[in-house]
Amino acid sequence: MMEATRGNGTLPMNCTEFQERLPELFESGQDLAGDPHLATCEKCSALVDDLQYIAQQAKLLLPIHDPSPQVWDNIQSALKKEPSEA
Amino acid sequence: MPTMASSNKNTTESPGPTAPAKSPNQHLRRNPPIAGEAEAIKKAQEGDGTAFATLYGLHKRRVYSLCLRMLGNVAEAEDLTQEAFLQLHRKIGTFRGDSAFSTWLHRLSVNVVLMHLRKKGLPQVSLEETLEPSQQDGQRKDIGARDLTLTGSIDRVTLERAVENLPPGYRLVFVLHDVEGYEHNEIAGMLECSIGNSKSQLHKARMKLRDLLRSGQRTEAAGL
Repeated sequence: MMEATRGNGTLPMNCTEFQERLPELFESGQDLAGDPHLATCEKCSALVDDLQYIAQQAKLLLPIHDPSPQVWDNIQSALKKEPSEA
Repeated sequence: MPTMASSNKNTTESPGPTAPAKSPNQHLRRNPPIAGEAEAIKKAQEGDGTAFATLYGLHKRRVYSLCLRMLGNVAEAEDLTQEAFLQLHRKIGTFRGDSAFSTWLHRLSVNVVLMHLRKKGLPQVSLEETLEPSQQDGQRKDIGARDLTLTGSIDRVTLERAVENLPPGYRLVFVLHDVEGYEHNEIAGMLECSIGNSKSQLHKARMKLRDLLRSGQRTEAAGL
């Protein structure tokens, strides 16, 4: 399991080191709740919470936009001009 | 604390020449069976225009929303929605049902948008430009201001608006990964960049979104 520790694997990272490795930590898919740096850093904890929240909310963005009726009219016109390959 | 690992995803059947390599166990998260779709596909493959109109009605919103989010421009999004369905009409005979139809059509639509962007030669697909960290987007900026946190406070409309305001390169990767559910290896294939670039771009997009959302909250809190 990848942990937010320095190269020797024992000391927690500082903020700069942690943030530099954050993309990698996220992509590893691991639960960061027990990360040693986050246990002591409110700022980085807030950052992680926010980024996770954004990613979660993005998954809830449903298709909500409809094209104008003109799009279908244009499609129909174009189809009349080209032979079907079906 | 939940993790942010990718969880969704895509296709097992290629709808076009620019579709990237396939990965096992991938599927779109939003492809539930649609009543009447299978019959409409079959008839449309036989040249039935009414059936094709049915497919348009079933999928126009999703295709257009995808185009609009990727492009951020209504006129272009409508043009490419039109182009995607014209391509669908030409290619529907090749759909074999190996993957969900919505997945297949979705990938076809993504390819249409990406082809368009490549032809335009705009920065949307020139990832290096926006991959370069800037002072504004650098991840070591003061990210920890304690005034507000986002959790539980962002509604869909607010997030939609923030995504619209992302720089094009950021928006493209964010939409493909976090909204549409593609994996980094797929995005790298589509955008002809490295997987590392895709990951880096996504992280910066999320950081930028955080800035945008927090700025909005501060403005609201100040009663502006």
